[in-house]
Formats: sequence, C-alpha cells, structure tokens
Amino acid sequence: MRATGWAAWATAAALMIGTGESPVGPWRAALDLAGGPLSFSVTITRHGSTFAGTLCNGTVCQPFSAIGVRGDSILLELADYSATISARLDGDSLTGVYRNVGNRGPRVIPFRAARGRRQPSPAPAPLLGRWNATFFSDFGSSPRVLELRNGTQGLEGTIISNTGDYGHFAGSVQNDSFTLTHFDGSFVYMVTGTLRGDTLRGVFHAGLRSQTTWLAVRASGAPHLKAPTEITSADTSAPFRFAFPDLKGRLVRNTDRRFQGKVVMVDIFGSWCPTCHDAAPELVRLYRKYRDRGLEIVGLAYEVSGDTAVDGRQVRRYREKFGIPFPLLLAGINDTDAAAATLPQLRGFTSFPTTVFLGRDGRVRLVRAGFYGPATGAQHARQRLEFEREVERLLAEREGARE
Amino acid sequence: MNSPFRMAARQAGICALVLVLLDVPAVWAQTSGVAAERAEYMAWLTTAAVSPLRAIAQQPIGSVVRLGPSNSDVPLAGVAEHRVRQQGGSVMLESDGGKRAMPRGLPIRVGAYTLSVGGAAGRAVLTVFGDHPSDKRPEYYELQPALVFVGALASPEQRGTVRVLGVDGTEVEAAEAGSVVVALGDERVRLRVLRMPTQGSEESELEIFFRDGTNGRGTYPAGRFVQLVPESGNRYRLDFNRARNPFCAYSSAYPCPAPWRGNAFRSPVEAGERYEGVGTAGPEPPAGAR
Repeated sequence: MRATGWAAWATAAALMIGTGESPVGPWRAALDLAGGPLSFSVTITRHGSTFAGTLCNGTVCQPFSAIGVRGDSILLELADYSATISARLDGDSLTGVYRNVGNRGPRVIPFRAARGRRQPSPAPAPLLGRWNATFFSDFGSSPRVLELRNGTQGLEGTIISNTGDYGHFAGSVQNDSFTLTHFDGSFVYMVTGTLRGDTLRGVFHAGLRSQTTWLAVRASGAPHLKAPTEITSADTSAPFRFAFPDLKGRLVRNTDRRFQGKVVMVDIFGSWCPTCHDAAPELVRLYRKYRDRGLEIVGLAYEVSGDTAVDGRQVRRYREKFGIPFPLLLAGINDTDAAAATLPQLRGFTSFPTTVFLGRDGRVRLVRAGFYGPATGAQHARQRLEFEREVERLLAEREGARE
Repeated sequence: MNSPFRMAARQAGICALVLVLLDVPAVWAQTSGVAAERAEYMAWLTTAAVSPLRAIAQQPIGSVVRLGPSNSDVPLAGVAEHRVRQQGGSVMLESDGGKRAMPRGLPIRVGAYTLSVGGAAGRAVLTVFGDHPSDKRPEYYELQPALVFVGALASPEQRGTVRVLGVDGTEVEAAEAGSVVVALGDERVRLRVLRMPTQGSEESELEIFFRDGTNGRGTYPAGRFVQLVPESGNRYRLDFNRARNPFCAYSSAYPCPAPWRGNAFRSPVEAGERYEGVGTAGPEPPAGAR
C-alpha cells in the first residue's frame, strides 16, 4: 500500500521538478531540542523519478530507506527505527517534525533545515584529547570518557561508558565551548561543554527534553571506567555450554567436533546493535588470521522478534554485510535478562556485544563486555591489540590443558 | 526557600505597551506549540496499535496469563488458547502453534488483537489491545496563557528512587527530582517532581501527578500528569495547558496511579485535558509508592 503511495508521490515529484523548487541538494538540518538545536546533515539526490538521500553526523552517513516528495511535502523514512521526518519545503528551508511511535504517546521533535553545507569547525588544542567525565542525574552519578579530536569535518568524537560507546559524534566549536551531536533516526544525543581552566563542564541531552549535567577533567592515564573485563564474570569450573540452532536450523553445541581443542571466541551479538556492527569486521579479521592455528569463533544472535523466520533473515543479512565465515546461531531475543537466562554460566551479563574467550579446554578465560568502535580512535586500536594478544596467549596454552 | 514559579506570560507582558507587543509572538508560539502537541497526540491515539482507545485488558503476568477461551484470564473472541509466560527476565507467548518471545515494547499480533509487554524484569505487565478504537476523544479547556509558569526546580529533600505507575498504568522505577512551588490565587503549593525513565534509552521525562479543584468536576477524578519542561540553566516551564489524563481515563483496562503525597491544589486548574465521564478504575496504590 505504501509503495503505491510512493509511486504516486514520485510521479508527482517528477512533474514538480522544473516548476522551480526541488529538495535536491545538501541541507544543514537540526532537531530543536529543549536545550538547543541538534545539528546534522541531510543530502537529497534524484535518480530519474525517484529520490534518495543520506543522513550524516559529520563524515558518518546512513541512507534513508525511502524519500517521498509530493508538492512541497517531503517525507524522509528510516524504516529500521519506524521513524520519519516529514517537512514542508519553502524555498531554501525545510520545516517539520521527526517522529517515531512510542508506547506512552508519540515521540515528536521539531525539525528544520536550510540549504547548504556545514563548514568544518575544528577545535583548539586545549579541548582535544581524552577526558574523564562524571554524569550527574537524579538516578545518581556515573563515569563516562569523552574522546575529542579533529577530523576532516572539524571536531568529532564519542562518549564511552562502562559498557560501550555511544557511536560517532560530530560537532562544532565556538571559543572554549563545543557541541557534539549524534542522531541516527533512533538515538537523539547531544553534548554541550565549555572549558574553564582545566575543567570541562556541560550538559548531555537525550531526546527532546532529558538533560544530564556533567563535568570532566583531563584523563590522567589511571582507569576511570570499570574495566570491560570486570563487568561480567563466568563460571570457570566447567566448559562453557551453548546449544542453539544455526541459520539452517541445525543444532550447534559447544561439544561439537569443530570446537574441540580449539580456542573459541563466543560473540554475543544482535543485528540491531550498532556496536556489534563495529565489532564484526574485527572478528572476521581475527578468524582469518588465526583459524589455521586453532581459533574458532561462534556468534550467538539475540534478535528482536523472536520469530525464527524474521530473525533468520536479519542475521543472514548481517552475515552477508560483513562476509562472516564462522557460524551464527539464533540464541534468543535482545532482552538482557532473557539473554542472561539462556547463558546461566555468565554472571552480570549487561551488554551487547559481549565476547567470551574460551581456552582449549572449553572453559572461560576472559569475558569482555562491550566493544570500543572505530569512533573511539585510540581505544579502538588498543582493543584490537588486546584481542589479538588474548588469542595468541590462549593459542599458546599447552595442549595438555585440553580436556 | 524558593520563590514560586512566575507566570510566564505576565512577567513580560503587563508593564508597558511595547512589552505587551513584544510578548505576543512568544505567547502565540507557546500556545501554537501546545496545539501542535495536541494534534500529534490525537493522531497517535486514533492510529497507534497500542493506543489506550484500543486497550481491553492490562494485567501483571506473574508466572502465566491465559488468553483466548471464555474461561481464560483474558477471554478473547475467536482466539484459541494462548499462554503468556514470564520466566527469568523473559516473557514468552505459547500456543499449540509454538512458542515465541515477547520483547518489551514490541507489539505482537494475535488474531484481531495486539499484545504488548512492559514493566521491569520479573514484574512484567501485559496489555491487550483490540482492533476497534473507542470513540472517546481527548477534550481540553481553552488555552490559558496565565497558567504557564517558569521557575526553578528545588533539590529533593531526600534523593532516591520510588516505584510508581506511569501514565500507561505500568510500574516504573522513578527518581526523586525535586519540587517546584506554584502560586495560584491565594495558594502556594509545592509540587513533587519525579524523573520517569523510558525503557531502553537514556531518555526520561520530569513528571508531576497533581490533583486540583476540578477533579471529578470537569477533569479526571484521580488527577492528571503534567511534564516539567527544562529551559535554560535551572529554569523550568510548567504549562498546565499540557496536563493530560492517565490512560485509565480512556479505558478501565488500566489501573490508575495512586495520587502522590501533597501535589494538590484546592483551587481549580482550568487548563489542559478535561474529562466528562464518571471515574472508571479507582486509584490503586502501586507497591512501594508513598
């Protein structure tokens, strides 16, 4: 039904082009949050009678799943999140709303855009680097790390919590103050901060209205976040058990021949989880490098629907996107508690992805919660090295340790 | 002590003609914002599969809830027996056709019905929605620019969290966020503010559940919710035109939140959502609420 609607829109759009106004081109877009505008970029292109486009946070972009144009009305769709941006085109401006469905009412945030590209806005040296932050909310205070650096589009960075990062943020700078934003169609995040002396102070905005104050001092090198290996622990008294169907419905178990005497990395992931997408290429790289020396990897997928056909499709797409050569199993749904229930040997399981390293005897040697994605820069590089070292260390363990 | 919230419209408007003129666009922008919000809410109420206008039952799952045949916990015409089972943190839907997971916040269709699970792990709540929305529609008082207040949020006397029912009758772990003082007529009322989280995100809302002189005489008897909107610094906007009914006003499927201690005006607050019917479900104190 929707497709027919779009076809009609596209036809109308084709007729409209040439009468003057066209949405085609780059746009400086913003969501108007209670605490100020969250900036991002939108680019719309036309291919024959249909439109396409991207939503970008600095250099990191994603395509809209569909774009409809009817008269001066534009509809930008992000199907993954059941989200839309609907706007009215008036000369060089777009005005409208971003929406997605909520359970307690609509989630609606005002949207606007002006024609043009954002100018790169690099940060002065004193702002750059790694900052140990404390977020203060009514629920209590909690640690974060802020990574600020200059990229080709000016200031960029990320926020890292105990269990992972918030994705790529892009920003702008004015004197000693900066704004960093991340909008992917679902998450609506903005960080504002100002440097006074040696302290950064600011506000973290989530959605239309949530605001959390924070302050940060330059990282000293001492650990500020809980080490990712301390978040989840495991029963090491027996081999780590798993038994789930693969994408063809065949049961795969830890006792299968392919895992015997091998070092095994168990990747607990979901195709819906952006940080898992960050981790996947690294796992593929490790697998190719160490498979011949005795490394096996198995992915346990915790998906959204719980419906085998739907989840299987999502995971197959994930496997194809990253060219994953190791088995992916349908383990359950993406509810932390539900996932924990399927893996009773893990304690304190909180985050996707979580990587469980098993020695040649099948017992847990290390559990690593979360994954520092490429947005975290130096952290990402360090983590790749740590994963590689751990694999090397386990591969070198004596064959005699085998059960 | 904090000074009471000031009337936002009055503060800029009355002193001089110039200021009155300058104030007009501000008040217009603000009331048109409320009108737009109401239009969005109406669209959601009439179209969303999980709209309270379609709700026919809501109940804690405990270990299991049976759906379908007439002797079930929730009889559903034309639906064979289904069981919603809570085990550990997960909720499963079982029937003769098989078994599937019910992730929170992701509605599932069963015949002509929609099922949705909310609430904390081990304390999950099932809501069942039918296909046909009731003809109830929200009704509102005329916009009252004088019932918009701006002021500071005072720190809570004691920090901590409390379990209360949200607007949708589902229990949430909310944090004490402080209080605001509102002067209305000859009354000065301190309103308790709770921060209510949204599951699975960093987002939350500052909510006030309040009662006033209109309850049972033009507005919902159990009280209404209104959100406190942060502006800049420690300035917050309290717009009683944005007051809305808990979902129990639309369907007796929902339990009503128990009134919060204090948070009551003797005088009428004639702004926001109205209610013409009789009280449906009476206030039901949630576990742990004060």
